[in-house]
Amino acid sequence: MTDVREHEAEFVRALARLGPHTQFADLLAESTIGRGIRLDRRSVSPSLEPRLRGAVLRAWGGGRWVEAATSALDAASIGRAADAVEQALVKAGAGPELPGVSATTRQEWTELPARPMRDMTTEEMISLGQDAKAWATAVPGIRDCQVGIVWSDEERFYLNTAGARCYQLLCRVRAGVTPIAIENGRVEFDAISEGSLGGRERLRFLTQENVTEVARSASKLLHAGGPPTGEMTVLLDPSNTGTFAHESFGHGTEADQFTRDRSYLKPILGSMVGPETVTIVDNGAYSEGWGTVHFDDEGHPGQRTPLVDHGRFVGALHDRETAAASHVAATGNSRRSDFLSRLFVRMTNTYVEPGNWTFDELVREAKQGILLERATSGIEDPLGGQMQLKTKKGRKIEHGELTDVVTSMALSGKVLDFLKSIRGVSHQSDFRIDPGYCGKGQTDLLPVGSGGTYLLAKAVVGPA
Amino acid sequence: MSADTAFRVAEALRVDGPWEVFGERSRRYEIHFNGRSIEMVRGPISLEGYSLGLFRQRDGGAGVGFQASTDLSGPGIVETVADAESLCRYSSFPAKSISLPETTSTSAEDVEVLDPHLWDRPMETLQAYVHALLEPFDGLKDVLPSFGSVRATLAETTIANSTGLQVGYPQSVVEVEVAVKAVGGPEGPGPGEYWVNDNVRRLEPSSLGPKVEEWCQYARDVRKAAATPTGNLPVVLPSSVLSGILPPVIGSRFTGRGRLRETAPAIGEKRGCDALTIWDDGRIPWAVPSSPVDDEGTPHGRRKLLSQGQVSELMYDVLYAGAFDLRSTGNAARGIVFGFRDWRRFLYSPAGTSTTLVIEPGTDGTDTELIEAAGDGIWLQQLGWAIPDPLSGAFGGEIRIGYRIRHGKLAEPVRGGTVGGVVMAAPGNPSLLANIGAIGSMPSLSEGIFAPALLVKPLTVAGS
Repeated sequence: MTDVREHEAEFVRALARLGPHTQFADLLAESTIGRGIRLDRRSVSPSLEPRLRGAVLRAWGGGRWVEAATSALDAASIGRAADAVEQALVKAGAGPELPGVSATTRQEWTELPARPMRDMTTEEMISLGQDAKAWATAVPGIRDCQVGIVWSDEERFYLNTAGARCYQLLCRVRAGVTPIAIENGRVEFDAISEGSLGGRERLRFLTQENVTEVARSASKLLHAGGPPTGEMTVLLDPSNTGTFAHESFGHGTEADQFTRDRSYLKPILGSMVGPETVTIVDNGAYSEGWGTVHFDDEGHPGQRTPLVDHGRFVGALHDRETAAASHVAATGNSRRSDFLSRLFVRMTNTYVEPGNWTFDELVREAKQGILLERATSGIEDPLGGQMQLKTKKGRKIEHGELTDVVTSMALSGKVLDFLKSIRGVSHQSDFRIDPGYCGKGQTDLLPVGSGGTYLLAKAVVGPA
Repeated sequence: MSADTAFRVAEALRVDGPWEVFGERSRRYEIHFNGRSIEMVRGPISLEGYSLGLFRQRDGGAGVGFQASTDLSGPGIVETVADAESLCRYSSFPAKSISLPETTSTSAEDVEVLDPHLWDRPMETLQAYVHALLEPFDGLKDVLPSFGSVRATLAETTIANSTGLQVGYPQSVVEVEVAVKAVGGPEGPGPGEYWVNDNVRRLEPSSLGPKVEEWCQYARDVRKAAATPTGNLPVVLPSSVLSGILPPVIGSRFTGRGRLRETAPAIGEKRGCDALTIWDDGRIPWAVPSSPVDDEGTPHGRRKLLSQGQVSELMYDVLYAGAFDLRSTGNAARGIVFGFRDWRRFLYSPAGTSTTLVIEPGTDGTDTELIEAAGDGIWLQQLGWAIPDPLSGAFGGEIRIGYRIRHGKLAEPVRGGTVGGVVMAAPGNPSLLANIGAIGSMPSLSEGIFAPALLVKPLTVAGS
């Protein structure tokens, strides 16, 4: 695959063609290479990133956006996409003024990590995966183990008629180990995974000690009981804190939900929503985060945007249109899943900033309750303000001490009640950002990071 | 049909078999709306590509390599072959044989999967549908459309392989997303939302009126919903809820992959109640998983998975069938990610899963009769996201809207809290399938399932 910038002349010509018909047009070209391996007890499956690349053209006409995309970057294909947009613009006619500020960023981010994953051979990836599988299956009760290691180097090249020209190379790597325990027809598992921008050094967590620990945990789940049911004190581990920050709170701060009048948070912007110990941010500029972007897909730089600052709800995430509607600046959160998908306001790396408690202090403070470990999913409810987090396992907290392991559960409640109930957040040493994929509704999945430390609050818990 | 993507690639291949090519030429059109205003019009988004699968039998198994590409040029195909060959070298899978489907007499007309209006006039048909969708809101003061989109994919699918198979069919799929919001009264409760996400094969604007009316009522009921009770309660699950719970678990564990991983139930084992019979049927008219052939070219059919509670058959794709020296049952699908369907199916290798699960109607009557049988329980209308864990079978989620059942009649709406359990457990243990107390007599089609409502006694409900 060649560098998408080699087709710059065609891109510039297409934008120039649209110029006379529109106040603004832009183009995003994208290409990705990558490789992965998946293996388990019976099979080894290497894979390559599909040979897919292309570009999307967008223009403002008749008071709305029109777009066309192509999966070929030759002059004829780009020309056909420009034809489609041009025809739509002519049909749309004149309309309201273009909303918002057009990016004028002109910069390139081309740096490879010190130890790029593209230099790691398939044999080396398989060997590391086989080691992890062997460590896991050596633990009694573990019948199988799935291991995945995958990397991708993604190019995005953005041009617009306002003069922006920016290029970024994002090198992502992710790995996970899932030991599976089976006994008398019951199947349980546990998992560890990490992912971020970076290179081979990001695989250092795949050690015998870590894999053995998670395998033992999977084995223990075979004999674990169900979680307690009802409203109780909950201690979220960093993965659950991150899922809360992203799903429960973050989605309500995507300002397209504001313009749709679909956010329970919109009317309370500026209000205290939690204790002063709570700060939640979205940070596209976070160093080497899974969801980090140097610029978004409208050419605005990625940045740290406080959402809750010491308990006060202070900000939202914006593209050019929502920023204009709210009389603020765009925050670098306009993202496309890929060149075939439309732009939406999206999160990048969303997390709760660390507090001052130790983990042990939080367990003692909880007295009676449940520790939730290994978030598996969550879903937003931007208008209703309800929350749903699901987690793989937990431990009961009794008399201020951790006791029995329990199986998977769901956490529910009202987000604002949950925020107000926060009693403590643990310190920096517990902080981590987990990799994930976020959809807007049920489509448009893209990489996002979510994270935090341990967080003590109150919510409804039930089996799931 | 004019599309010949896979056939062209197959003709250009200079490689030994077994091999398969899955090709797709797609056009995508989208309309996004915000309130009653059109926010964005997209299309055509044009995409043509293919996936090449190579199988290399060797001692003790097979090497398997899949690669996808949008480059249909001679050199592009050579590169794709080289990629797939390189993957074969590192891959290992315990296949005793690889039996690709042979020439089929199945024709495109066999199964109804194409909306001809949409095919011929995509944008006009989408516009008419959006108009019909928004029209019922005219004159309503307490309910309005919040936002939504209709995204149509018109694809010409072609499959060829080294046995000489050449088969193709056109199809349409539309992703419909609508959020309906109930509002009103300065001192009243906050707004209520009913959020619909559905995939359909055809657009039927004339049927929208009653549907919109129903959605509006759910949105109104969200506003006045009471807290969900706590306890082990009888719960009635309609097909729209079952579609998020059963296919991910049955579609994973009742497969050759499940059998190889030792997570599949054994044939003859008791995994459901006596009255429960479940089929897999890939030829249900207008069902989204339906098509004349599966994604490897094997004709779709109808198979009994569970017969009066006993496991009857499993589902296989080519690869996992080969592990047991069997032939595929026509259950290979591409592009299912986290339970959602990606319209760019050629980017994915095939995996064994269910098509449409058909639950044989029972003798327990209408929904009203099931509610009577429940006595004191809950009718579950919508869950946040059930997202079951296919390995352990655990499912659960937040109740977005449900109805209390009191004295055998529907009573007040309820919302919040969680409901959950295990879809399928080891024989003799409680589970959703084992604890079915009544099976309705009136099935309806939701994505991935054609089923009547089921009364499950009990499920664990954790209210607030």
